[in-house]
Amino acid sequence: MNKSQTSTCFVRFDHDLCAGHGLCLRVCPTKAIRVKNKKAVRIVDQCIGCGECIRSCREGAIRAATEGPDVLEKDHIAIALVSPVLYAQFPGVMPKDVLLGLRHMGFQHTIDMSYFLEIFQFATEEFINRNRKSQRAPWPLISPVCPVVVRLIAFQFPNLLPNVLPVLRPVALMAREVKSRLIPEYIENGKEVVLYYLNPCPTKKDPACLTSRKRPVPTEIALGINDIYPELVKHVDQIKAAGDIPFYQTRFEYETCATANASMWGMSGGEIADMDIDRSLAVSGMEETISYLEKIEMGLFQDIEYIEFRTCREGCLGGVLTAIDKYLAKGAVQKMIKRFGLGRRLHRENILRMYEKGEFQTEKKPSKLTRLFGAHKEALSLDSMQKIEKVMDLIQGTDCTACGAPDCRTFAEDVVRGGAALKECLFLRAQTKKKV
Amino acid sequence: MSKFKKSFHIKGRDFIRAGEASINVQNLLKSMDFDSRLTRRVAICGYESEMNVVMHGGDGSLSVEVDTDRLILEITDDGPGIDDIDLAMQVGYSTANDDHREMGFGAGMGLPNMKKNSDRIHIESKKDQGTVVRMIFFLPEGGKTD
Repeated sequence: MNKSQTSTCFVRFDHDLCAGHGLCLRVCPTKAIRVKNKKAVRIVDQCIGCGECIRSCREGAIRAATEGPDVLEKDHIAIALVSPVLYAQFPGVMPKDVLLGLRHMGFQHTIDMSYFLEIFQFATEEFINRNRKSQRAPWPLISPVCPVVVRLIAFQFPNLLPNVLPVLRPVALMAREVKSRLIPEYIENGKEVVLYYLNPCPTKKDPACLTSRKRPVPTEIALGINDIYPELVKHVDQIKAAGDIPFYQTRFEYETCATANASMWGMSGGEIADMDIDRSLAVSGMEETISYLEKIEMGLFQDIEYIEFRTCREGCLGGVLTAIDKYLAKGAVQKMIKRFGLGRRLHRENILRMYEKGEFQTEKKPSKLTRLFGAHKEALSLDSMQKIEKVMDLIQGTDCTACGAPDCRTFAEDVVRGGAALKECLFLRAQTKKKV
Repeated sequence: MSKFKKSFHIKGRDFIRAGEASINVQNLLKSMDFDSRLTRRVAICGYESEMNVVMHGGDGSLSVEVDTDRLILEITDDGPGIDDIDLAMQVGYSTANDDHREMGFGAGMGLPNMKKNSDRIHIESKKDQGTVVRMIFFLPEGGKTD
């Protein structure tokens, strides 16, 4: 990492490009960003990887901590783990042809995540059906699919961790399957395998930097969909132009994608649309997500069984690392659904057998998630709370952000915690000058 | 250690901003290390009482006071007051009008819910003289848990 950068697990800030506008300050839901000396951007380690700052930056100084397309090395066994959002980037193209394009690009295997989303869907329905009788989990259950939502809850709404559906996330199911069935053969033969997660957002599968410092085996790399799009679009165009594509052989069912509703998963509501649950909701957008979580915390929505949250507006199609506009992508998905209808390729009975064996239960207790952030947000004592109020009384409270903190309250907290000096407040300085 | 107190304004009949005061209280409590079950109980009580003010009361305020051994939530308003407090505490009793019911309120669960979620509740009210609801939550030893 070069010197003029600061980075979290998920995003990098380029100090040379930063103009100090501080637009990112206000959009950060966990108030993790501070602007110092007009240019440099200091980040409190509270980043949950939502990518809102990337969206807000006019200078392009903030980028996802993904690797970029040039890492695709031909001498490795490259496996693409494909978010269904990728399909929606190619209006009018069948998912299987997009996967074929990836193969032409040099990926030896393409893993269709929607297959695992379907497994997740069955497991979720089963859990909710059983919970209706046992009432062991509180309503409403919250979808664990969006990792940003889960981290947001762990960080800001720990009360709601018991509401997070304790079923393994589709990405985890996918990684487990690939690691246990697809890769071992290669590794036995001494080949190096690299897993490429093709993501619509800066969040990684399970951020290694949050859980452990160890380098995962096999190597896992996160790529933004917009990173590979320019190259992939060429191959997809070729495939489209060629017309009839000979059927190609795959070893596992999830290496290709036969259903049209796979692309629906990227859309807000795509998770629950086809689910067999009586009372469910889909909420998208960061502000809306936070507002709903606040309401659930206050005891509302207990008559709802399941809520799908996506912090990006319109769902993952609105991810900050997508290649085409979210509304164009949504249109493409809707056309696809209209043409092919909804349908699942897996059978409930098979999944239920796995469910009985406990294969979908999350290993991590949700309470452990809070520890990811616990160290960074030390609790305030009564004394500190009083001091913060005193600082708040001194400063004007207009949330001008000139001090480099996102709002006055956070600035006051920084002052009391020792991360900022009172004199950094412009209003306060102006006042003292007047008096002199 | 000394007490900490802060209060937030509640505007009567403002259904759009309803809930803001309790969210503010909630955010304050989150920056201190209270047990999450406690903050949840406070949140439920805060919201229920705030909605009562928004629906029936005029203007009011929600204040939170943290002492070493207890947390006190106090809601005051200059609304119509409660005629018969015992009756109001009964599950299912409600004075909500049709407009409130259309918005999903008025199930007669507000005060009972507050009683259930707080350790002590005290209501002071007279017809046409406003209402003060004081709820106490006892804190585990030292005021902190975990």
